[in-house]
Amino acid sequence: MMPLLVFRERIKKIYQQHDIILVPLIKFIFAFIAFQTLNSEIGYDNRLKSIVVVLVMSLLSAFTPSVIMVLLAAGAATLHIYSISPILSILLLIILLVLYLLFARYTPRLGYVILAVPVLYVLRIPYMIPILLGIISNPLAIIPMSCGVILYFVFQVVKTAVTMQVNMTVEDILQVYTYVIDNLINNKQMIMSIVIFALILLVTYFVRRMRFDYAFEISVAAGALTGFLGFLISFLFLGKSNQIFSMILGIVASGAIAFIVNFFKVTLDYSGVERVQFEDDVYYYYVKAVPKVTVTTPQKNIKHINVKNEVLRSQSLTSDWNDTDAEDYDEDEDIYPDNNGLAFRGKNQNRNREFNR
Amino acid sequence: MLNNKKIRLMTKLAIFETKEGKEDIRLSKYYKTDYVRLQVLKSIISTTVGYLLILALIFLYKSEYIIKNAVSLDYKTIGSYILGIYIILITIYGLGSLAWFSLKYEASKKKLTRYFKLLKRMKNIYKEEMPES
Repeated sequence: MMPLLVFRERIKKIYQQHDIILVPLIKFIFAFIAFQTLNSEIGYDNRLKSIVVVLVMSLLSAFTPSVIMVLLAAGAATLHIYSISPILSILLLIILLVLYLLFARYTPRLGYVILAVPVLYVLRIPYMIPILLGIISNPLAIIPMSCGVILYFVFQVVKTAVTMQVNMTVEDILQVYTYVIDNLINNKQMIMSIVIFALILLVTYFVRRMRFDYAFEISVAAGALTGFLGFLISFLFLGKSNQIFSMILGIVASGAIAFIVNFFKVTLDYSGVERVQFEDDVYYYYVKAVPKVTVTTPQKNIKHINVKNEVLRSQSLTSDWNDTDAEDYDEDEDIYPDNNGLAFRGKNQNRNREFNR
Repeated sequence: MLNNKKIRLMTKLAIFETKEGKEDIRLSKYYKTDYVRLQVLKSIISTTVGYLLILALIFLYKSEYIIKNAVSLDYKTIGSYILGIYIILITIYGLGSLAWFSLKYEASKKKLTRYFKLLKRMKNIYKEEMPES
C-alpha cells in the first residue's frame, strides 16, 4: 500500500505544478473520446467525421466550460442525423429541448453527465457513472443521469430508424415518427436501466455517508453489487441473457475505475495553483498562489507504518492547516488595527507546531 | 511600497471572485424576492414550452386518429385533460423552484459572509493608508 500512497503524492505534486497544462489536456482527451465515439455510432456525415473537425471541436472544448462540449456534441449529433434524415434530426432536437427544459436545466453543473452516459454506454462501462456520482455527488444527479440514459436509447432507436426507406411523403414521415415513438415508449430496457442506475447511485451515496471503517470502499462494492443484481434480473426478465457476460465485465471494470478514482479523490478535489490578476491604485498584480499542503514524501527511517493511520493523519494534517489558516485570519481581524506583531507571532507558533508533529 | 498583507487579502478575494464565488456574487446583486421570482418565472416559462413540445409530439403521434375522428372527438374532455395536467405540472415546477432557489439563495448568502468580512478588512487597510498618501 505504501508505494501506492507515495505514488499518489507524486501525482498530486505533478498536478499541482502543471495543472495549467494538465486540466485542458485531460479535457481535450475526454472530448476527443466523446466525439470519436459519437462519430463511430452515428457518423453519417463525412464532413463532420474528418479528423480535423474532431480535433478542432476537442480543442475548443478543452479551453471552454463543459457546457460548450455538451452543446457541441448535441449539435454534431443533430447534424449527423440531419445529413441522412432531416425529419429524425428535428425529432431529436425536440427531444433534446424537452429534456433540457423540463429536467437538465435544474442541474447545470452536471451537464457533462448527459454526454458521458451515452459515450460510456458505447464503451460498455455505463455502470461507472452512477457509482462515481454516488461517491462525488448527491441524489440530484439522478436527473441528468436519467436524461443521459434516455438519450442513449433515443440514439439506438434513431439508428435503426434511419435504415428505413424514407421518401418525402407525409405518410412515410409519419410512419418513421410513430416507429421511433413506439420504440421509445415501449422500451422496457430503458425504463429498467433508469431505475437501476438510480438505485445504484442511491445505494452508493447512502453507504458512503455511513460512519464506519472503509465506508468508501464498501460503498463502491455495494453500488456494483446493486448494479449486478439489478441488471441480472432485468436481462433475465427481458430475455437478453446474451448480454449478461459483457454486463458482468462492464460492472467489474466500472468498479475498478471507481476504486481508482476514489483513491485519487483527494487529488481530484485538491485545488491546484491559482493564478489571479488584480490591481489597486498603484500597481498591477499578477499573483500565483500556491496552496500549502503537507506532502508525505517517502521517509525511509520509519520502519513500521500503519497505513490506515497514515492516511488519516495526512488528511487531518491538511485539514488542520486549513483550519488554522482560517482561525489566523479571524484572529488577525480582531487584533489587526493595533498590533500586527502578535498576530504574526501567533501564526509562526502555529506553523512550528505543525512542523513539530 | 508593497503591502504584503494587502496583497494576501486581495489574492484571497480575487480567487474567490473568479472561482467559487462568481455565482454567489452575481446572486447577491438581487434581492431575495426578486431573484426567486425571476427563477420561478423562468422555470414556468420553460415548463410551458416543454409541455407544448410534448403536446405537439403527442398530436403528431395520434394525428392519423385525430384526423379520422375529427368530428366525433370529445374536445371538452381532451381540453380539460390538457389543461389539468398543465396546471399540475406548473404547480409542481413552480413550487419546487420556489423552494429550491430560496434555499440556494440562502446558501450563497452564507458563503458570502466570509467574503464580506475580508472586504471589510480591505476597507480598513485602505482607511489606514489614506492619511499617508
